[in-house]
Formats: sequence, C-alpha cells, structure tokens
Amino acid sequence: MATEFTRFCKLSELPAESKKAAKINDTWVMVCHSNGRLFAVSAICSHQFKPLVNGRMRNCAISCPVHGARFSLETGAALDLPATRPIATYELRIVDDWIEVCI
Amino acid sequence: MSTHSLERAPKLAPGEARCPDEPTTQQIIARDRVAAPGWVRSESYEFLGDEDISIDRYIDPEFAKREYETLWNRTWQFACREEHIPEVGDYYVYDIGRQSFIITRVAQDDIRAYYNACLHRGTMLRAAGTEGCTQEFKCSFHGWSWNLDGTLKEAVCPWDFPHVDEKKFSLPEARVERLAGFVFINMDHQAQSLIDYLGPAFMAHINEWKLEDRYIYCHVVKTLPANWKLTMEAFMEAYHVINTHPQVAVSNADANSQYDVYGEHVDRFISSLGVLSPHLRGQYTEQDVLDQFTLGDSSVVAGASRALAEGETARQRMADMMRGMFEESMKSDLSGVSDSELLDCFSYTVFPNTFLFPGISLPMVYRFRPVPGDHRKTIYEVFFLRPVPQDGSRPFPAAPVRIREDQSFTEAEGMDPGFGAILDQDTDNLLLQQAGLEATAKPGLTLGNYQEIRVRHFERTVDKYVNLGD
Repeated sequence: MATEFTRFCKLSELPAESKKAAKINDTWVMVCHSNGRLFAVSAICSHQFKPLVNGRMRNCAISCPVHGARFSLETGAALDLPATRPIATYELRIVDDWIEVCI
Repeated sequence: MSTHSLERAPKLAPGEARCPDEPTTQQIIARDRVAAPGWVRSESYEFLGDEDISIDRYIDPEFAKREYETLWNRTWQFACREEHIPEVGDYYVYDIGRQSFIITRVAQDDIRAYYNACLHRGTMLRAAGTEGCTQEFKCSFHGWSWNLDGTLKEAVCPWDFPHVDEKKFSLPEARVERLAGFVFINMDHQAQSLIDYLGPAFMAHINEWKLEDRYIYCHVVKTLPANWKLTMEAFMEAYHVINTHPQVAVSNADANSQYDVYGEHVDRFISSLGVLSPHLRGQYTEQDVLDQFTLGDSSVVAGASRALAEGETARQRMADMMRGMFEESMKSDLSGVSDSELLDCFSYTVFPNTFLFPGISLPMVYRFRPVPGDHRKTIYEVFFLRPVPQDGSRPFPAAPVRIREDQSFTEAEGMDPGFGAILDQDTDNLLLQQAGLEATAKPGLTLGNYQEIRVRHFERTVDKYVNLGD
C-alpha cells in the first residue's frame, strides 16, 4: 500500500510535554512532544488495544493508563509488562509549521 | 600516619581508637571560611563492643528467609520520591523480595501503598518496577478494578460472586509516611512512627537539608554479586579508600574521617575532601590534592583553572570554585551553604536499605534490595539529586538507566566517569568477598572499633529484628 505524508496539526498546537491523537485514514495516530523531540506512534496499546492518549508521557516513553504497559516513543518497543509486542512508529516531518505524518 | 604492626599499636580503652597524630574531621572543618552548621559540627560515636560478626547472615539462605519474615515486613523503607508521583493518579511500584506495592497519589495530600495483587485470583495489578498514571487499577486477567482510593470499582459478572462482600474487597494497604520528598512505607501497622523510628537527632539533621527541594537528575540500577548487607557495608567506611580507591585518597582525609551513630536506625560518616590522606602524608603537594579532587558530577567544574596561589589550600580553592560553578550550573543560590557541605562526603545509613548523602559535591541516594530468591545478589540503585531550579520549574525525575551485571558503571548514561570508576572499584570487591565468606574457615568478621562502627551498628539492628522472631 502506498504511503504518504498527511497534515496532523500545527506545530504550535503541540507544546512541550503534550500529545494529540487523531485518525488518519483508518489508523489512530498519536504525535508526542517529549524531551524536546517529536514522535509519531500508534495511539492504541498493543496489549489489549486500549487508547494510549491519556497515558503518562515521560522521558520519551508513554505508559498505558489501563494496565500500565509502557512503550518507547522512539522505537515503539514494549518496555514493561503486560505488553510484549511493540506499537507502530511513523515517520514525521515539519512543513510550513505543520506536523505531517507518513501513514 | 605511619604503618604500625598490631603488636606495637597503642593499647587504648574501648572507644578511644582514633587516627593518631592527625587533625580530626571537626578540626579540618573548623578551619573553613564559610562555617558549617550544627548538624556537621557534632559527634555521636558510641563503642558497641568488639566481638566478631557472624557470617551466616551473608551466606545462609535461611537467614535471608528470616529477614523477609522479621525485618523487611517491620521496617520503614524508601519506596519512591514524591516527584515520581506528583499528580493525582500517578503511581510507582515498589518491590521488596516477593512483596510488591503500588504507591499512588489518591489526592493532592494523600499517598497510599496498596499490596499489588488482584483480590480475585491474585494477578499483579501493575507489573513490578513500573510507574505511570491511571484513574483505576484494573486487572489485566478478568478485569476486576479498584478506584484510586482502593475501594472495589467493578467485579466483572457480579452475579457470580454473591458471596463477596464489596466492603471487604478494598485493596489492603501498608502504612505510608512522607519525609523530605521521600515516600516511606512500612508493612507493620503496629510499628512506631517514622519520626520516632529515625529519632530526634537525625530528624534535626534531615530537616536542615531540604531534600524535598531536590530532584533526581540521574538514576542508575545494577545487580551486584553479593548479599545485600555485604553490599551496603562496602559503602559504610572510608577505611578501604587507600587500598580500593588510590586515586581518591590523595584528596580524601580517609583515616581521620568521623563516624557517628544515632539510635538504632541511623548512622553516618563525614569524610573530608580536599585534604590529603593521613596514609600519604609528605608524599603530595597541595596542588596534587586539588588536581585529584573527585566529584559526583565533574562537569559542573569543567574548564575551571586549578592552579593554586602561594599559601592557598586545595580545600579552600575547591570550596570557592564549586560554590560559584554549582550555582551557575544548577541555577541555585548556594551563598548560605558552608564549605563543608559543598565539599565533603556525608554518608548516612537509614536502616534497613537506604543511604542519604546530603552534600553538594556528592549528592546521592543509594538503595539496596535483595534479589528475590537469591541471597547472593543485590539490586543496587544510585540516584543523583540536584537542587530544583530557582525559576520554580521542577524537571521530571530521570528514568532509571539499567546496566547489566558485566557492565561498568562508567557506561551508564548520565554517570560521571570518575564516579563510575569509583563504584566499579567498590563493587568489584564484592564477588570475591561473598565467595571468600563461603570459603573461609573463620566464622566471623573482625571489625575496627572506630572506622567500622557503622557496620557493627547496622548488624546489631539486623540482629535485633531477626531475633524478634515472627
């Protein structure tokens, strides 16, 4: 399937240590601003498929608020039980002050 | 200080042993330009006997089992820092042996510690060693859930549990007390309060330190190959410095460090820095002492001139230099901080498993926990603390950096290389010591009366708990 960059939100709408989730085509994507860096990852936990967007984000990782699984925002790797599978990560870029995500 | 044979050593009365012909720690500190506060300028040594310490405590798995039954479940333990759980719903899992607790902020001023197990079929509600934020504690197996305040929120298919009394299905709790930014827990609901446990002398010290105004800027975790008590004891004296850390001794008054005990649960040493070791008297210049000065984070004085002027002492230059540079790098006001607090190593043991270092140049907290099911291994953590910035912001506490047993501390991200090398030297001895205690024909450790008083004091309290029985 072809992939393409899609506008996600304005850069100014994502201040430091914040995150946003949105559906692009049929995929829930979350863009995170952590430790001065931007990351685009799946917004759905790989453990029991709950939304991650209300989870706590610290030091480039996000923890699922439901059962506590934690994922690296950089690699998507599962860092803590009960998750063992990674979440997807997506390429992103800034164009004209917009964050664009490649799905 | 010359080396004496034991036969020619002076015969002193019990408790009189001190490094001969050298200034005491108090005399060194009294010469400083910015005077030290009362908690530094006091002594509280006590002679506690000179019998050998039995070694079964380090090598017998049955002793470790008794510790779980009598010591770990009765003592106040540092579970996390308040900064780990600043918001309502934040939680941090503290594990000790097979026990596990969810430490969570239920309301702005209400922190609780729940036994970390579902009351249905026992699954951990949160994995060991994790942290995060939630609105409920939901079991990942069948989905039973508990509110932040510990009351049962939902039993899935309640029609199948007519025999369950909801009021009796709140999560069991350990006791929680907070002190200086630390969250302590105790499984014993009959235990004395944390303040009584620590005692008035130490409380007067910790209340001066304002550790609640510091944050964790580096946190390193490593499993070490020795019993938890043996591992702690590797850090309780400066007696080993001349042999284990020769690079430090040049700038450390090791043999004339000061040792104090406070009640049953706290002891300390003060080891002055920027002063030549008595073992090396006459072998180094003041400039050498300055050049060899070791810091927990040397980056804060990187690039500073280290050339001493005529008549200037290494200790005073280091104090003056560090005051300015720490203020700049930490964006904090240190004008009221004494030279001794800036320079010296203050090492306090808070029984059973925590060390606090309230100084500025060596600003650590250590925590030691036995590896469950293996009395020969210890989970060692070092946290480096810094004053919070003056602008009122509070950085997130650093995430733990976990290094493998075969890795050097110098490889840990954020660890100062010089300090990492010292930790390597400390811990490289441990495997040999553990193995030696298992091989020895001698049933006890022999301790120095003064320099190793903290080891004796610590083991006395271990014995007290273990001998109390269940």
